[in-house]
Amino acid sequence: MGIGTAKPVTQSDATDLRDPAYLKIRDVIYQVSGIYQPEEKLYLLASRCAGRMGAVNAKTPAEYLEHLTVRANREAELRLLLNEITIGETYMFRSPAQLEALRRVILPQILEAKSALGFKRLHLWSAGCSTGEEAYTLSMFLREESEAMLKGWTVDILATDLNDHSLTVAKAGIYGEYALRSTTELLRRKYFKPHDDKRLQVTDPLKSLIRFERVNLRDDSKMTFFKGMDIIFCCNVLIYFDLNSKRKVMQHFYSNLLPGGYLFLGHAESLYQVDDRFHLVHFPGAIGYWKPPVGYTGGGKP
Amino acid sequence: MNTRRLEEIRPKIKALEAMPAVPTIVQPLTSMLRLPPEEVDMERVVELVSYDSTIAAQCLRMANSPLFGRRDTETVRSAVLALGLKRVEAILLGCCLSRIVPADKWAFDAATFWRHSLGCALVSSKMAKLIGYPDPEKAYLAGLLHDLGILVNMIACTEDFRACLQAARDGRVALHRCEEEHLGFTHCQSGKILAEHWNFSADVIAAIEFHHHIVPESAARPLVSLVYLSDSLCRLRDLGYGYYEAMGVDLAGDAAWTALVEHYPALAKVDLARLTMDIDGAMEEIVAIVDAVFSPGQPAAE
Repeated sequence: MGIGTAKPVTQSDATDLRDPAYLKIRDVIYQVSGIYQPEEKLYLLASRCAGRMGAVNAKTPAEYLEHLTVRANREAELRLLLNEITIGETYMFRSPAQLEALRRVILPQILEAKSALGFKRLHLWSAGCSTGEEAYTLSMFLREESEAMLKGWTVDILATDLNDHSLTVAKAGIYGEYALRSTTELLRRKYFKPHDDKRLQVTDPLKSLIRFERVNLRDDSKMTFFKGMDIIFCCNVLIYFDLNSKRKVMQHFYSNLLPGGYLFLGHAESLYQVDDRFHLVHFPGAIGYWKPPVGYTGGGKP
Repeated sequence: MNTRRLEEIRPKIKALEAMPAVPTIVQPLTSMLRLPPEEVDMERVVELVSYDSTIAAQCLRMANSPLFGRRDTETVRSAVLALGLKRVEAILLGCCLSRIVPADKWAFDAATFWRHSLGCALVSSKMAKLIGYPDPEKAYLAGLLHDLGILVNMIACTEDFRACLQAARDGRVALHRCEEEHLGFTHCQSGKILAEHWNFSADVIAAIEFHHHIVPESAARPLVSLVYLSDSLCRLRDLGYGYYEAMGVDLAGDAAWTALVEHYPALAKVDLARLTMDIDGAMEEIVAIVDAVFSPGQPAAE
């Protein structure tokens, strides 16, 4: 979800931002990972580069750019820089604008279409769920709506990751202050119980909506099993794939989504030149990728 | 459209010019804004700024703000140079036009209104440059002025307009829809009347009149489409009218987009996700400029 916010950074920390090498580094990152930084936020990028420049002993941004583009270990270096950039990214309710779009626009739309067909089931997927914050956020969101918009509906969340360690943490559902920093007191009381002095543990009503599973998004045979999805969240995962793998994963997401379904990426990520079947749809403060129903011929509004 | 209702308020709109609060610099200013930057006479700008002590003070305040490095600017001339033409123009026009609305008639705060207008101006000119539209300056001007009719409605039908805005807020729907319903006409039509009265150029008038409804083929259609798309984008990126509009928009599937692609095929290749993130990046500056003119919460510049 873009540049991390774990360490506070101010503009004065940065070196000379007018150095055009930063723009080039920004563009390399965008090409490789789909993560974009507008010019006004280059100071954040510069501060992330500064750490890596020290580590490889690059004196100038231009010299560091060489490490990312022409040196033999460029791929490894790019990976390390990307890790710096996405550090400290997961906590609950990380993307309120996405949830608001879900509540105000997307769910009413999907529920109406499905009700008309007599379906009362809703399937969400947190693809690349890491330590589970996103999946539990969605679970809280759905629970909160269960007596309102979702009354009478059966909902479930599939949460997958490649990393066994992450999945173990996710299943345990024990979180500290950092992960909970945007979770209101009310929701904490409602859906968590104390674990130790500093941490809370999710309660069963939250867990029961989620099925955790180890899945490699590049595993073609496995990916064909997850049909019938309404909404897929895949935040800061694609950055680790090359273009071909990204395209494959997108193909799977596209065919796994029901017509009219949505895919959400991290807020600084884009699918530009990765996939052109999804329609980019704007919501207030958020961007989603939409699989139009058969027969959609444009007209602006999904 | 309710023509009779609109005719009723027409004399009110025409009477606006006779109001003592309308500065005489509106006319020279709008014609100056139509020039390419290299043809604008900086001395004339300094003169216009000096003409009005409030505007001069606001330029100085802006030039001395942290955004410009607190450079102890003391003269109007150095303030104008430090800010650059675009920002000075925005301050001038914002101040001038805001004064046509008496403080007690503002339906929402002036800063919100000008953030939207300035946002739309910047996005229009940025998009114009991206697609090769020959006159980005005009796109900027049309973006800045597109909602002139909102000022008109606040003056000519104050209470009814307040009710429209409230209904739009409550229903989380577009303001012009509520105007249609409650007033029988929208800010597009009332803005057109004032713009004609003030002798704006035909294509800027068209942008004011049609920025919510794309016109059939006409010479002004590219400009109208640019402003239409910029207005939508701004409303979707927290530069709207200060409330949550529940909407999901497939901009590339919109009639305005299709119309513009016909004239400027480069638009089809514009990376919309990246453009959106650029708008987010530019927001800080837009907010700083507008807040330098209107302290947040103040109804209008004194």
